[in-house]
Amino acid sequence: MLKIIDVHKNYAVGPTEVKVLKGISMEVGKGELLAVIGASGSGKSTLMHMIGLLEQPTSGDYFIEGEKISYDNDRVLSTIRNRKIGFVFQQYHLLPRLTALDNVGVPLVYRGMREPEIKEKSMVFLKKVEMEDRARHRPNEMSGGQQQRVAVARALVGNPSIVLADEPTGALDTRTGQEIMNLFRKLNEEEGITIIVITHDHKIAAQCKRQVEMVDGVIVQSSESRVQS
Amino acid sequence: MILKANITEALRSLVSAKQRTILALIGIVIGIGSVIGMVSIGSIVQNEALKQFKDMGVDIATVRKDSGEKGSEMALKDILGLKGRGDVTEVAPYLTSGTEYGSGSKKMFMEQMGVTESFFDLNKIVMKRGRRITDLDAYRYFCVIGTETEQFLNSAGTPDPIGSRIALGDRIYTIVGVMGAVSEGGMRPYGINRSVITHITTGTRSFQSKEINTFMVRLAGLKAAPEVKAEFQDYFEKKSNGLRVSVNTAEELIASMKKQMQLFSLLLGAIGSIALIVGGIGVMNVMLISVTERRKEIGLRRALGAQQMDIQAQFIIESVTLCLAGGIIGIFLGIGVSLVFAKLSKWEFLVSYGSIALGFGVATAVGIFFGYYPARQAARLDPIKALRS
Ligand SMILES: Nc1ncnc2c1ncn2[C@@H]1O[C@H](COP(=O)(O)OP(=O)(O)OP(=O)(O)O)[C@@H](O)[C@H]1O
Ligand SMILES: [Mg+2]
Repeated sequence: MLKIIDVHKNYAVGPTEVKVLKGISMEVGKGELLAVIGASGSGKSTLMHMIGLLEQPTSGDYFIEGEKISYDNDRVLSTIRNRKIGFVFQQYHLLPRLTALDNVGVPLVYRGMREPEIKEKSMVFLKKVEMEDRARHRPNEMSGGQQQRVAVARALVGNPSIVLADEPTGALDTRTGQEIMNLFRKLNEEEGITIIVITHDHKIAAQCKRQVEMVDGVIVQSSESRVQS
Repeated sequence: MILKANITEALRSLVSAKQRTILALIGIVIGIGSVIGMVSIGSIVQNEALKQFKDMGVDIATVRKDSGEKGSEMALKDILGLKGRGDVTEVAPYLTSGTEYGSGSKKMFMEQMGVTESFFDLNKIVMKRGRRITDLDAYRYFCVIGTETEQFLNSAGTPDPIGSRIALGDRIYTIVGVMGAVSEGGMRPYGINRSVITHITTGTRSFQSKEINTFMVRLAGLKAAPEVKAEFQDYFEKKSNGLRVSVNTAEELIASMKKQMQLFSLLLGAIGSIALIVGGIGVMNVMLISVTERRKEIGLRRALGAQQMDIQAQFIIESVTLCLAGGIIGIFLGIGVSLVFAKLSKWEFLVSYGSIALGFGVATAVGIFFGYYPARQAARLDPIKALRS
């Protein structure tokens, strides 16, 4: 489903170049629940932004569903992002002026979908994350865990090929974090949704089917989990 | 559908930053207000000016004796003798002299005029009641009055002034008619509505200033002012030694009025444009702040699939919405100002629908023009940097 071949990413900081990704190659199959772990600054978020088409690699190739990504057309990139990728961020990033329902619907707005249909679909996904009774609430009227559930619904609403979650439990306490993790596992198991979870919490990583560890811009280890429940 | 979502979003965002929105609006309101005000006042003035020519016709000229010439006078018989010569179909000499009437707090400045019967025809004066002054009234103390004079007499305790007497200076006149209201300015002598009019021969006997130095003529066809002037100059030079005259034709006056209108429009247009530029810069500033404050939102929207064009459209729509809101208030303001102007100058108020359309058009244009740069900034933000901010 995703294939990354020898991807490098450098940032120019003043006169020097910072090498953040140093030749990453990996493959993610359909229906995977993959954890990316690694120390702070190892390049996990950078990798995720690259996978999410928010960042262009300095070199290397990237294929989504067999299609090679070219970075010269904003319209094409935005459309792929809109249709194939769902983001979940550590800081939830809900739009403060919008209700939970409207927040979930944002990706659909950029597909030019009509409003009643957007609302209807958004409601379906709010139900899926058990937030339907908060549909009219704004982000500041919800707890962190609730906001993250809404964010998960937003990531799923467009029926993407893959959900990218960058430390989705990082801002939550252990119990609430676990609830989000349970939600991911359920979505993965019952609906076969492909999910990549970035974390530095080994307990979280252990709940994923596969783990990839990053150290200083390279993948050092990939392992299969003992199946847990 | 994106458009609708964008408009909703624009309103949400503008409402959530009320103070800033209001501050940005002020400039636009003043700008659009002055543009609308100027166009409306312009059309009110023009309407008023042309109204007069519509009922009096444009084949009229006023001839004045040049001042400063002692000894040479325009004799009444010479003026009247012009009728039928050349193109002149009608002659109306007149004499004016101001008088204060009444006493204490009940006082009015009246225009005393001495005229011939032709004055009423030439100026298209319609009698409201009673009769006009005819040439049979020569040397007699009969008069007609204007509507404002009538109102004054009414309020001074004379409900129906016809038949009653009015004392002006050391003479007493009997009122025989009331004239209907006329619009003033242009070719018509000023003050007809607040006048007391007698026959010109009565005037030369009783008025303070007794010299006739103005007369109006109607000409058979349209002629240029210099040509008309040459004719009269020639005539009076022979009749009265060394007399010089100047001539104003209606056509000439319309031309100079049009020129004045253009100047007026240009001036107000300049003021309006400056206000709009200032307002537009205010809008641009507000939009730039809005973009900076919402970097995170922009980054997020990009992550969720918004194209650069979508972000650009969102902010341009926001700025157009802002300007249109200001535009609508400005349109009301401009119309209000022109209404006050019309009321104060007692002119007919009219709303030019073209100016309203212009107001909407200009507001939209300002919104697009000054919203473009901030919107472009927003669209070009690096999504990751924006998200991290
Ligand atoms: N725009 C940038 N310019 C320069 N350096 C950058 C930029 N973005 C990231 N980096 C650097 O790249 C490295 C990796 O950053 P990244 O955010 O991917 O780490 P991470 O593994 O997600 O860390 P954390 O666990 O703390 O989130 C860091 O050293 C960071 O300073
Ligand atoms: Mg990170």
